[in-house]
Amino acid sequence: MAQQGDAPLVVFEGVRKSYDGRTDAVQALDFAVARGEFVTLLGPSGSGKTTTLMMLAGFEDPTAGRIVLDGRPINDVPAHRRGIGVVFQNYALLPHMTVAGNLSFPLEMRGVARAEREKRVAEALDMVRLGHLADRRPAQLSGGQQQRVALARALVFRPALVLMDEPLGALDKQLRERMQLEIRRIHRMLGVTVVYVTHDQGEALTMSDRVAVFDHGRIRQFAPPAEVYDEPADAFVASFIGENNALPGRIVARDDAWCSMALADGTTLRARCAPGLAPGDAAVLALRPERVLVGPEAWADNALEAELLETVYFGDHTRLRLRVGGHDEFVARLGFRDGLARPRPGDRIRLAWSAACCRALAPEPAE
Amino acid sequence: MSRRNLLAAALIAPLALLVALSFLAPLGATLWRAVEDGAVSTALPRTAAMLRAWDGEGLPPEEVHGELLRELRAAQEDQSIGPVLARLNFEETGLRSMLLQAARAAPRLAQPLSRSLPELDPRWGDPAFWRLLKRSATGWTPLYLLRSLDLRIGAEGVERTPAGEAVFLRLFARSFEISLVVTLLCALVAYPVAYGLATMPPAWATAGIVLVLVPFWTSILVRTAAWFIILQREGPINAALLALGLVDQPLTMIFTRFAVYVAMVHVLLPFAILPLYGVMKRIPPEYMRAAASLGAPPWRRFLRVYLPLTMPGVAAGSVMVFMLAVGFYITPALVGGSGDQMVSYFIAFFTNTTINWGMAAALATLLMAMTGAFVALARAFVPGLGAGAARG
Amino acid sequence: MTAHAPRRATPSGRLLLNAATGLVLLFLVAPILVVFPLSLSSGELLVLPPPGWSLRWYEDFFTSRRWLSATWNSFVVGGWTMALATTLGTLAAIGIHLGRFRGKAALVAVLSLPIVTPVIVTAIALYFALALVGLGSTLTGLVLAHTVLATPYVLLTVLASLQTFDATLLRAAASLGAGPATAFRRVMLPMIAPGVATGAIFAFATSFDELVVALFVAGPQQFTLPRQMFAGLREFLSPTIAAAAVLLIALSAILLALSEFARARARARGIG
Repeated sequence: MAQQGDAPLVVFEGVRKSYDGRTDAVQALDFAVARGEFVTLLGPSGSGKTTTLMMLAGFEDPTAGRIVLDGRPINDVPAHRRGIGVVFQNYALLPHMTVAGNLSFPLEMRGVARAEREKRVAEALDMVRLGHLADRRPAQLSGGQQQRVALARALVFRPALVLMDEPLGALDKQLRERMQLEIRRIHRMLGVTVVYVTHDQGEALTMSDRVAVFDHGRIRQFAPPAEVYDEPADAFVASFIGENNALPGRIVARDDAWCSMALADGTTLRARCAPGLAPGDAAVLALRPERVLVGPEAWADNALEAELLETVYFGDHTRLRLRVGGHDEFVARLGFRDGLARPRPGDRIRLAWSAACCRALAPEPAE
Repeated sequence: MSRRNLLAAALIAPLALLVALSFLAPLGATLWRAVEDGAVSTALPRTAAMLRAWDGEGLPPEEVHGELLRELRAAQEDQSIGPVLARLNFEETGLRSMLLQAARAAPRLAQPLSRSLPELDPRWGDPAFWRLLKRSATGWTPLYLLRSLDLRIGAEGVERTPAGEAVFLRLFARSFEISLVVTLLCALVAYPVAYGLATMPPAWATAGIVLVLVPFWTSILVRTAAWFIILQREGPINAALLALGLVDQPLTMIFTRFAVYVAMVHVLLPFAILPLYGVMKRIPPEYMRAAASLGAPPWRRFLRVYLPLTMPGVAAGSVMVFMLAVGFYITPALVGGSGDQMVSYFIAFFTNTTINWGMAAALATLLMAMTGAFVALARAFVPGLGAGAARG
Repeated sequence: MTAHAPRRATPSGRLLLNAATGLVLLFLVAPILVVFPLSLSSGELLVLPPPGWSLRWYEDFFTSRRWLSATWNSFVVGGWTMALATTLGTLAAIGIHLGRFRGKAALVAVLSLPIVTPVIVTAIALYFALALVGLGSTLTGLVLAHTVLATPYVLLTVLASLQTFDATLLRAAASLGAGPATAFRRVMLPMIAPGVATGAIFAFATSFDELVVALFVAGPQQFTLPRQMFAGLREFLSPTIAAAAVLLIALSAILLALSEFARARARARGIG
């Protein structure tokens, strides 16, 4: 796990990247990754997360700023001398070599003797449980097997840092979830530092020590998964991670970390307040659907009645869409414990949630 | 230039040099040779200079007559008179003998030559002759190109060549006719065959493709020679026809247009089949199923969905076949009759037999121009026609 | 390869199509097959069925100085052409693929001009030019001419190979510690090798089978096998020509097989 107090392994200082000289793919990045940490760069397509990874790997050059690896700036170090393991999105296994050949390649580049090479290759294959496929060619392997070989290859030369560029995107759901656990297991076993890129926020939450949420080339929040989920820094993070209700309204009163917010139809609610919001400011109330208590016994700081617009059956819960505060997309979940008979559109449903569960955030500027 | 582009340039340079020196330059030289006209200026330099200085009206001054005869005799001595005579005789038949006669008679001619020469031969007094001579002294000429289009420079400028000499437009027409017929036949035959191969079970399809590839890789000469042998009066086809009693006289098939068509189609068919096959194999079956689900009967599915989707293959193959056909030399030369020869035959004829490199180059230039125009038109009208339409 | 859905066409329709296809394929192959029995004829005329069987024409071929020297010339010229064309074409293809500049398509089009120009035009252009520099009727001139014709095929084949080459593999090699030169040698080169091989075989075949340019550029000492055959067809028709044709066909078949083998190797490795 991350050791507090040690010097960070990776530091980005004011790194900026522009491809065409006008728009920035990445704007002024400043962050650090601690040794042994598993950091995920999360964001929608085009948010700059992959560009950041590519700059760290050495396949793209920053337009401005410095990248420091293990205390040494590496802006001028070419990719093949950075000693960073990379797992590519399409695995990039060398098709004309066998699995063993692929794994042996980086060791050959480092002048490791043949006997030692064979030993390390066998170890790496055992780590991903593919020892029996050493002599196959990549074309003869399944997607999942190729992915594991790619992982083993990036680790066989024992790099201090491993980068992964959406490595699980091509796998089906079950395989993906198994591989997420595998990667986590290997990370814990080896203690290597990992920077992982994905657009799948579920993946980010389950695997990472910290998550960096990217949007249009900026990091909106860089925090452990629980914090990013429960205490999103702004409306973008709140909406991008997990399912989120975003109710527009206005701050009425502010009291330290708490505030009162009025929704469009006048309903007032109490919420935690993001810094920088003052009475009179427009704000957005962020509330996760699973925090909403539903039913006649629901009681908390914030309680109201809402008209049910639509229900969708999900097996383990029923999804309710309601009109709250003049907003038609409010979502709550009805579990089997909630003791409510099958509600129908048109019913008035009682909802409640505690003030600690919702946050008033600054609204995103209009696109 | 970036280091990367510098390296790229270094890698491309050797081939670029080869193409520039061994292909583009010779082609350029050929184009130049089609309009170059140095025969007279080289062998009779002073006469040529005087002619250039003369204004072209009426008859040239006396000195020109004298200088001409002097240089003609000198050229005769050192054997350089041949190209001059060939060049002038090409433009107007009979000038060779006229000039030789005058050169031989030169010592005996009385002054002024402008009077004694026409007595030898009236053409010496004809301004048209002297204008022709002047034209031949400029160093370049449209003569060959014009002649290739059955035109020449007459008294009032550009006019048609007399019917007996006007063969070239017909020649081009014939070449295009043959090429178009062959292209059409190839396209019509290739389509069902390619479709059959594309929809066969893999084992049969592979065998079928091999049967297309083997002729494709066999040299054109061998295939044409095979037809040469097969179509003989004593050849296997006639033998079979006679044996089956279908005819009682062997048919004349060799040295006919029929033979040319058969042999050319045979040689070019793989060029039409292979691109089509490639395109057809890549059409997802879902398209036809979708069309069916939308209510289209089979013939409509074919016309509105399948045919348009396969058009790029048809176009690519047909352009390739046409371009190859238009430049064909060996096949018509071996199996065709005298009325079946194409432009290439005459290019070879002028190069090797009559050594009229001007005409050879002119015909080659026009052939290239027409082929280029055709390809440009095809590219403009058929989208997706790339330059990489080569084999494989 | 996606299997094309068989149309629910009538069985007789399918039968007709198969029959038509079979007939056309027969048409394509039959003339080539006809040459075989003719070459084994014991008679002196090119008639079928032959009066008897004999290997005399093969004997004639292999003991004739003319035919043997023509065959030797063909191999020499073909070999040199293959070597030069493959080298120049591969280097240029790599250069074009590597470079970052506009007008790549135009450059490729210009470098491919030799194959879209009518052969007769190329032949006389080279004839004039080679005569000018004194290389007419020389082996060097013929090799040069054939190289010009064959290189575009290598260029296009290797370019196609490079275009299907996954650039991420070079990044992967770099991430594993391979410098640019090593990555080129250990990753790119092996992957385009089948394409280069196919191009090389094509270049050899192009030169070996070439006739029109040889008609103009080759003197009697440089007669290649096709040139000799052509002379034979025009002047003295004898079944030796059929024997020569059979040998040429056999060579073509071998080259085709080699080419397909190279392609199959490439496919097995998941390349191109």
